[in-house]
Amino acid sequence: MSTRTVEQDLGRARKGVGVAGPGRPGREAPRKPGASAFTLLAFAAPAIVLLVLLNLYPVLYAGYQSLRDGSLISSGDFVGAENYLKVLSSPEFWASARFTVIFTLVGVFGSWLVGLALALLLKTKVPGSTVFKVLLLLPWVVPVVVSATAWNWLVATPQSPLPILAEALGLGNVLFLADPTLAQITVCVFKVWISFPFMMMMMSAALASVDNNVYEAARVDGASRWKELTNITLPMISRSTYISWILMTIFCVNDFPTIFLLTGGGPVNATQSLVVMAYNTVFQNFNTGTGVAIAFIMTLVLIIISVALFRQIRKVQIL
Amino acid sequence: MTATSIPVPTGAARPATRPASRNPDAGTRGGTAVRFLVLLVVTALVLVPIMAVVGLSTQPALGSTANGFTLENFVNIFRQTDVLRWLRNSMSVTVVTVLVSVAVAAPAGYVLSRGRGKLVSGFSLVLFVIQSLPVVTAIIPLFILFAVLGLVDSLWGLMIIYVGSTMSVAIWMMAAYYDSIPVNLEEAAWMDGCSVFGGFIKVVLRNSLPGILSTAIFSFLLAWNDYLVALVFLRSSLNFTFPVGLQSFFQQNATNWGLVMAVAVMMMLPPVILFACLNKYFSVGGIGGSLAGQ
Repeated sequence: MSTRTVEQDLGRARKGVGVAGPGRPGREAPRKPGASAFTLLAFAAPAIVLLVLLNLYPVLYAGYQSLRDGSLISSGDFVGAENYLKVLSSPEFWASARFTVIFTLVGVFGSWLVGLALALLLKTKVPGSTVFKVLLLLPWVVPVVVSATAWNWLVATPQSPLPILAEALGLGNVLFLADPTLAQITVCVFKVWISFPFMMMMMSAALASVDNNVYEAARVDGASRWKELTNITLPMISRSTYISWILMTIFCVNDFPTIFLLTGGGPVNATQSLVVMAYNTVFQNFNTGTGVAIAFIMTLVLIIISVALFRQIRKVQIL
Repeated sequence: MTATSIPVPTGAARPATRPASRNPDAGTRGGTAVRFLVLLVVTALVLVPIMAVVGLSTQPALGSTANGFTLENFVNIFRQTDVLRWLRNSMSVTVVTVLVSVAVAAPAGYVLSRGRGKLVSGFSLVLFVIQSLPVVTAIIPLFILFAVLGLVDSLWGLMIIYVGSTMSVAIWMMAAYYDSIPVNLEEAAWMDGCSVFGGFIKVVLRNSLPGILSTAIFSFLLAWNDYLVALVFLRSSLNFTFPVGLQSFFQQNATNWGLVMAVAVMMMLPPVILFACLNKYFSVGGIGGSLAGQ
């Protein structure tokens, strides 16, 4: 089954590990007669119990709630698809969906470009590259609550360094988090800042598995650096690239703290993504059914996109 | 039993083709200097927010008589905030999460790595779907359930949810690492009369330290950094973990940067120290995992 390899790759990818190479050898099954289904079940049993209780049950229950008009304390009455219709006809939902798309596109491709560029730089011989590598991972390691505090100091008030810098450059009074468009840009840049180290790790691992002889052959043929990148490097790491895009799409769409801690979704909902909207609907307006409906619609779209990208990976695998 | 120890697939197993001779002309002194400068500037820019946290934490807080560099904020936060309690809460939640998720994911990953058949691939698919669901969806039913069980505003409730949310990735990570361990090692152990469980413990797990550490680091970061679950479930400040503690302190003292940043430094130190020490396992161990099989 071909999805299986993809999921293992995902697993590896989660560790920030390269998935580019020709792949591991075929999986070897244990040949011991005693390695029965029962033993394997016993191995997986604790995990299965946890997954059912903490992941499967909540999803099913949430699905039930999305058909009712309950709140956190009452389960409400059955209303059918009303929550979904209400959500889909609300302008706020579409505005949030639009921002989620922008946030995700910038988050995925912005962090990929930065991560890839840095991975390419670090691949060459540079003094202190190990130190650079560790330092550049810091935005990803530092807790987002801490970095959001730091960014708040950097941009939030007129007394912050960046607005002062902007004023000194003659850009006037720039209010990074008070202007809707600027707030959207700031949140996106913040997300790229947090996420590029992850992409850098994935791309570094992928680049490390590219055979250097290919480059020598290309150089004999007189290929330019740019040609080398677009015709050799990128196709060779395309599998890792697609996997990193899928993962980052999931991370971005599901991201809550990055947006919530920096802007809380404001000003006037300009930076409200669907997850933030779902959170506000449930925990501030106490509208459980609608909130869950938002999250479900979002997840459905997310899974469709992931599957489309998975198909792409399978095509690449055949190549 | 002879083959209980195999070369751990780390650096040694990486392909011989090193990137060293990538471009003959790139080795020139000028090219290297330019790249070094670019990296230096980019790294400095990237680190501005983090350096700001550290720098501001050593500046006098509002109402302080000190001027210039001072460490008094690090003394004052112990008197003015519950930072010790947050630290203790976060530590206990994180340590329990790491231990439990590794203990549960280690055998489950073995099934994913060595098992075959429809059930196993179904298991794998379920893990992926679970991973793409937003935490917000799961929180609401769990909140209702935990309210009945008395687990709202409790660190135990938090631990249970964190273990649940690390589960699918932790299982993948362990499985990916086991994939790099040749199955004939276990078979040799079985020949010697080892049970499947015995072979798993004595052969597979013994050779999986990098995989276990990677999974542990992942769980640590998830539990230590989580904000959303703690925000929803924790009510009383006695139970605050670091993220909600820092955030509430920041909201009350928004412009008192010296104190706020001192708390922030306390919060980021554990993951940064952990990562600095184990970074080798996280990156190289991981890379080894994917390349060793080749």
